[in-house]
Amino acid sequence: MTDADVLRRAGDASVLILTSLADGPKHGYALIQDVSQFAGVRLGPGTLYGALDRLERLGLIEALPAQDRRHPYRITAPGVAALRAHLDSVERVSAVGRLRLGVAGA
Amino acid sequence: MPGRLVAAVLRCYPARWRSRHGDEAAELAELLIRDGTPARAVALSYLGGAARARLTGRPSRRVAAALIVAAGSLGAPLTLLSAGPAAGAAHVSRAPASRTGTRTAQQGTRGERCTARLGRASGARPAAARPGVPRAAISGTGRRHGQGC
Repeated sequence: MTDADVLRRAGDASVLILTSLADGPKHGYALIQDVSQFAGVRLGPGTLYGALDRLERLGLIEALPAQDRRHPYRITAPGVAALRAHLDSVERVSAVGRLRLGVAGA
Repeated sequence: MPGRLVAAVLRCYPARWRSRHGDEAAELAELLIRDGTPARAVALSYLGGAARARLTGRPSRRVAAALIVAAGSLGAPLTLLSAGPAAGAAHVSRAPASRTGTRTAQQGTRGERCTARLGRASGARPAAARPGVPRAAISGTGRRHGQGC
């Protein structure tokens, strides 16, 4: 992991949320549904809002104007860069792990 | 009853958080419960979030401690409430399945009042019947329904 990987200590929920927002803005319920679909993980609503606040403080996402009571969020340019850096780090660790395990495709 | 429990838990968040996310969070809870998520699980998740919000937002450890005691009385593993970096990952499950300032003991802190209300909403036993739970953590004066904690 590199110093550029600001998501290193942000927690899995933050990475899942950024990954979900990578294909367009979503509000809370849509985020939970999407993460459940692509990761098989059901985010608790308390975890979701905690991660959203954290990501917004870091400038990795931003809230869009509310629609009814819902606030959609979108990923920012620094958010895209952070997600890319994190995924690169994970990929490197994954490659080493696979190699050491003797898993094909490493 | 489930709606009341979630509403009580949402009042445990700092006022600033509630003004920003409160309505949306209540709507999200309704949707999740309608989808089949147990109301208790939704309330527990929000309770952990409220404790973390108070620990990270305004360092009022008494309030956070009171919320953690409340979560424990509702059956939440305390590891789920840790405020460390991995906390974001702690509240996920697999899909298939201001300072409080100085107050008198009689007044209690916001968290204590909140905890007392939660205890009533969840049907928890009174303090005297629960050994190991600090009495101060669940004995508040209690506000009327609808007011923040």
